[in-house]
Amino acid sequence: MSTVMKTTRDVKGVGLSIPRPDGPEKVTGKVQYVADIQPKGLLHAKLLRSPHAHARIKRIDTSRAKALAGVRAVLTAADMPYLKKKAPTRAHAVLAIDRVVFAGQPVAAVAADEVAIAEEALDLIDVEYEVLAAAVDPLEAMKPGAPPVAEAGTEADTSEAQAHGSVSGVAAVAKPAKAVNISQQAKLARGDVAKGLADSDVVIEKTYRIPMVHQGYLEPHAVLAQWDTTGQLTLWASTQGSFNTRSEVADVLEIPENRIKVIPVECGGGFGGKIRALCEPVTAELARVTGRPVRYVMTRREELIAGMPAPQVIIKLKTGVKRDGTLMALDGEIVIESGAFSGAVLAVGAVFLASLYRWPAFEVRGFEVLTHKPSIAAYRAPVAPHTIYAIDSHMDQIADAIGQDPVAFRLRHVQREGEAMANNQPWASNAAYEVLERLAQHPSWKTRDEWKKSAPAGKLRGTGLSLGGWLGGLQPTGATVRLNPDGSLSVLTGQVDIAGTNIALAQIAATAYGIDIDKVKITTGDTDVAPMTGLSAGSKTVYTVGAAVLQAAQDARQQTLEIAAKELEAAVHDLEIEDGKVVVRGMPDKGVTLASIGKKGNLYMSKVPPVLGVANPAFTQQAPAFAGQLARIEVDPDTGEVALHEFVVVQDVGKAINPLACEGQMQGGAVQSLGIALTEGLMYDDKGRLMNPSLLDYRKLTAADLPNIECIIVEKPSPAGPFGARGVGEPPIVPAPAAIANAIEDAAGVRLTQLPMTPEKIALSIARK
Amino acid sequence: MAKQVLSFTLNGERVEALVQPYVTLLDALREDLGLTGPKEGCGTGDCGACSVHLDGKLVASCLVLAMQARGRSVTTIEGLARGGTLTPLQDSFVRRGVAQCGFCIPGVLMAAAALLAENDKPSEEDIRYAIAGNLCRCTGYTKMIEAISEAAGSVGRSGGVGVKG
Repeated sequence: MSTVMKTTRDVKGVGLSIPRPDGPEKVTGKVQYVADIQPKGLLHAKLLRSPHAHARIKRIDTSRAKALAGVRAVLTAADMPYLKKKAPTRAHAVLAIDRVVFAGQPVAAVAADEVAIAEEALDLIDVEYEVLAAAVDPLEAMKPGAPPVAEAGTEADTSEAQAHGSVSGVAAVAKPAKAVNISQQAKLARGDVAKGLADSDVVIEKTYRIPMVHQGYLEPHAVLAQWDTTGQLTLWASTQGSFNTRSEVADVLEIPENRIKVIPVECGGGFGGKIRALCEPVTAELARVTGRPVRYVMTRREELIAGMPAPQVIIKLKTGVKRDGTLMALDGEIVIESGAFSGAVLAVGAVFLASLYRWPAFEVRGFEVLTHKPSIAAYRAPVAPHTIYAIDSHMDQIADAIGQDPVAFRLRHVQREGEAMANNQPWASNAAYEVLERLAQHPSWKTRDEWKKSAPAGKLRGTGLSLGGWLGGLQPTGATVRLNPDGSLSVLTGQVDIAGTNIALAQIAATAYGIDIDKVKITTGDTDVAPMTGLSAGSKTVYTVGAAVLQAAQDARQQTLEIAAKELEAAVHDLEIEDGKVVVRGMPDKGVTLASIGKKGNLYMSKVPPVLGVANPAFTQQAPAFAGQLARIEVDPDTGEVALHEFVVVQDVGKAINPLACEGQMQGGAVQSLGIALTEGLMYDDKGRLMNPSLLDYRKLTAADLPNIECIIVEKPSPAGPFGARGVGEPPIVPAPAAIANAIEDAAGVRLTQLPMTPEKIALSIARK
Repeated sequence: MAKQVLSFTLNGERVEALVQPYVTLLDALREDLGLTGPKEGCGTGDCGACSVHLDGKLVASCLVLAMQARGRSVTTIEGLARGGTLTPLQDSFVRRGVAQCGFCIPGVLMAAAALLAENDKPSEEDIRYAIAGNLCRCTGYTKMIEAISEAAGSVGRSGGVGVKG
């Protein structure tokens, strides 16, 4: 696909830092999120959740709750006969039927006139449980004889992996008998690992553990459901993909998709946690039985207890190298804890572990394990931060063990375009090498020895870096571009805009058509009117929806030029669009305005068709994108406290369609990555109950914990992306855990292999040294 | 329980509402008075999305009972820009593209406005501590700090601040 635009002057479009147009709405509190919408007759929903991680429901009595004044409906699974006893996905586990499989699973739902009445009704529902043994630790849960999570095993659910950038060529391995909680297995191997390790001079083996973390979006899950008298359901949803929400709700409720309209309301953050349906089906059912609009808003406590967090990942990694730095062999085992339902992106982790650097022999075994915890979902580059934490912690340790410079060592071995990934697919064009090279030129890397020596008495200083990335997601998508009677353009997609992607899409349309951005309006339509559009996930909005918008704008431009060509009696290839006019090249006086072409497309008895550019591409070519991050820190060896003094992000974005928005992604992603590194983790007791279900105890980074995040944008154009763009959102969440661990080792000489690297863990490691 | 009459000054105007004695100021603003700018991100005072000014002081409105505002003055994000003109703080947030999902922004702006009312020359550290009670998951805070610095007309100094687990 050609992305070279022929315009005689630059339009205000691609490459400019244009602030998103909804800024004024957002700084005045006028933007409406789901919880802000209050239709007449609104009822409020609440869910009764299981206090046990694994229990049989012996009896539920809702009679006292139903008798409470102001209660309009109380539902249990018995009221929803279409629910399957063996729920194939979390969305189907709307209400537990006879067994709960995680603490926090809903067992009953209430709709009432007020939130307080609904809460009171929950207290009046009597549930008798028979508490069962729970599988809590994934390493125990994967052993034969562990308490089974699924009734009779589950089918692997790979839909999320596909949405996020699927990885082909990973062999599925048959499940061994009796290890009932292993729900997916994969194996990648090449060469003779045993011989490679035996011939190595230095063998390093470590086990890295990263706990479950919550995506942490500020707006909890929320949905508003209303049925009309003809049986049409409307859902106002906080979702990363309205068409996906529609499909999942239709599947659970067993109604046709075209009887559901999903209106994607402003989404207060998702990061992967709002891809899959969660509370939509039960809210829809409450609305159906009451005949009233019903709104359900999760509390933060519910989010932390029963959201869809990122998985716990345990990586056992063993590598061998020669004294001269020659890589010999890698042996890895990845265990991904998926909670009560299958759905982890196992293949991504397996591929990344052995593909970033050039291992001549490797074997990676991946296991997805079910436990009695909430099922997991994506979190911005799912499993990549975990994998890179392991491999790039390891790379620093190897370089240190053989006395080599950590950057030179990485640059020597990082795989380049065309070389085989672990799944034998060739690496697509990427800038992993260039990003790392650029990061190593940063003054804070070059002066790391000075930084180390500058530590004040009683403190330790260090510098660390890491390289990480994302393969890039793909999903078919549609877009239309219309020319209006006043010469302005209207762009329509179904793309949910969370990060500021709509302004970038509008910039693409402006440049592709040949008109200034202020003449372009972009709309995110609901599922009744918008072309089918994919998820806001996988770093693929600009890459795929941007490509659709580009093609639709080119189509609209071609139609416009053809109409003008007839009118001007000129050939299409002699025409240009300049300053809102189609002109004949070299004859600036001979032209026709876009407004007149647009007007004729909407004129009674006109023979000129309305300009309607349409594109609905599907994609095959991924565009991997890499980020390198550098941390300059100071450690207090007595308290274990880490002070972040500098943090640098170097990232290849292909082409910065909107540099301001790119920086926002790089800075936000970096701080999420730092949270995984330093403070965040869902903590469970031995019964599978969450011990830190509040934002006081689940510690996210605040402004006071951080320095300004420095951004350096690298542009190595992708072959197929619009104007060479690559995905931007996910790479920056990947490197920080390894960069911080490497910086701590540089400062204090201790290697942290368990996240988060809290002051307690750091101080204990230093004390035990 | 019988509802009670809540009478107070909201964004410069006298208002009255009938509220349950147990509702928070946040719920009264959002559900009874139609001001949905303040957001509920946690309901426990940990995230700052519900921040408003009560008699000029920054409070988490989810931790204040509505009836505690009786006879007092409350300013919400809706009352920050008067007469349709953005304040320099809001304008700076728009131009610097601070907001992504935008859910935390009303609370952050109320915290920043409270800071600037007390200190027109805040350092970067002053700003970082002033909004430390406001969690943001999208931006990494950098553009916020720059925007608040710009609005204050001051250039903040950089420097590391500790992470306390």
